[in-house]
Amino acid sequence: MEKPSWASFVMGGAVPREFTDLLVIAIIGLAGLQAYLTRFTVGGVELGFLTLFLSVLPACTLASLSNATRKLREELALFAYGGSTWQVWAKHFLRGFTCSLIALSPFLSLEIITTGYSINSRSLLLLLAAVLGGAFYSGPSLRRVRSAEFAESYKA
Amino acid sequence: MTYLIETTSVKMEYPHSDGVIQLYDEGVSLRVDPGDFVAVLGGSGWGKSTLVNIILGLEKPTSGTVHFSGEDVTRASFVKRCSLVKTGAVFQRPTAVPQLTVGQNLNLALSMAGIPKSERDERIRESIAFFGLERITRAYPESLSAGQRKRIDLARALAIKPQLLVLDEPTGDLDTSASNLVMPLLRGLNKDHGTTILMVTALPRYASSAHQLLHLKPPGFITPSKRIDR
Repeated sequence: MEKPSWASFVMGGAVPREFTDLLVIAIIGLAGLQAYLTRFTVGGVELGFLTLFLSVLPACTLASLSNATRKLREELALFAYGGSTWQVWAKHFLRGFTCSLIALSPFLSLEIITTGYSINSRSLLLLLAAVLGGAFYSGPSLRRVRSAEFAESYKA
Repeated sequence: MTYLIETTSVKMEYPHSDGVIQLYDEGVSLRVDPGDFVAVLGGSGWGKSTLVNIILGLEKPTSGTVHFSGEDVTRASFVKRCSLVKTGAVFQRPTAVPQLTVGQNLNLALSMAGIPKSERDERIRESIAFFGLERITRAYPESLSAGQRKRIDLARALAIKPQLLVLDEPTGDLDTSASNLVMPLLRGLNKDHGTTILMVTALPRYASSAHQLLHLKPPGFITPSKRIDR
């Protein structure tokens, strides 16, 4: 019997196939775009902020989609304990918001300190990015718990 | 005295590549009164777990109604149903938050059921002792056997002292000695504490404890033009 070629097997890995691969491409591409755009401003706001928003969204979606089996187990348990859809959503929103805020906190702190401890438009944009991070982290979870397959997971 | 649960002509259909699978051909009509012990008996794939999901509000029936304490909850969530009848649920697949230890899982379940903090420790201690989980209280669910996780589910469901306990194959994943402990426990809960029990099982010997027995029939299969057999 002819042995399958290892080369075709390995080379097959070079082709991005998953939705999460697309997200990785988007994040890296956006980081590159950010590096390029930081030199431009529109109406006093650096275009780099635009790409910050655009990179927070796929990064949080990617984090939420990763380890989905474990997250599904957690969601199944929370419902079994009497939790509601909005509680599960809120839990994931907070996680995404916290992750984004931790990542952005050095820049947010710097912004607040350099403006004499006041909140300016740049600080608000950074906070908005963290809120969007929460929303996009909770999105896949909400989709999962509302799907027809969710209740099927309680069956062995 | 009002009933806890009443289902009327509940039917369920699932799309299939060649047509539609229909569960509960004649519709499930069931009334569960306070203090009842009801067993639903049926083979694999006959819709036992689906019926549990329908009763708990996790799946919506294609037709028919579900009432909890006189209120139509056919389209309502599990949370809404729990507010009408305090319900503990044990599913076929063990369910616990993987990031929390056994003790923390029980604490979370009690907290979500609205049990005051002052009562939680005592209830957790009781439940853990009852199911012999003392040695694994600090363990994480994923490091435990399926049988141990099943016992955690039972401990968690009972710790809230529910009016109604819904169990999907409560002895599944348990070895014979553990299974032999569970059925007398359920009988005791029902007889001594008045806990209403609704249990689905494939094993007739476990259904023999029940006051009321519902036999499910094998599912039918409907094609778009004609109905074939069962």
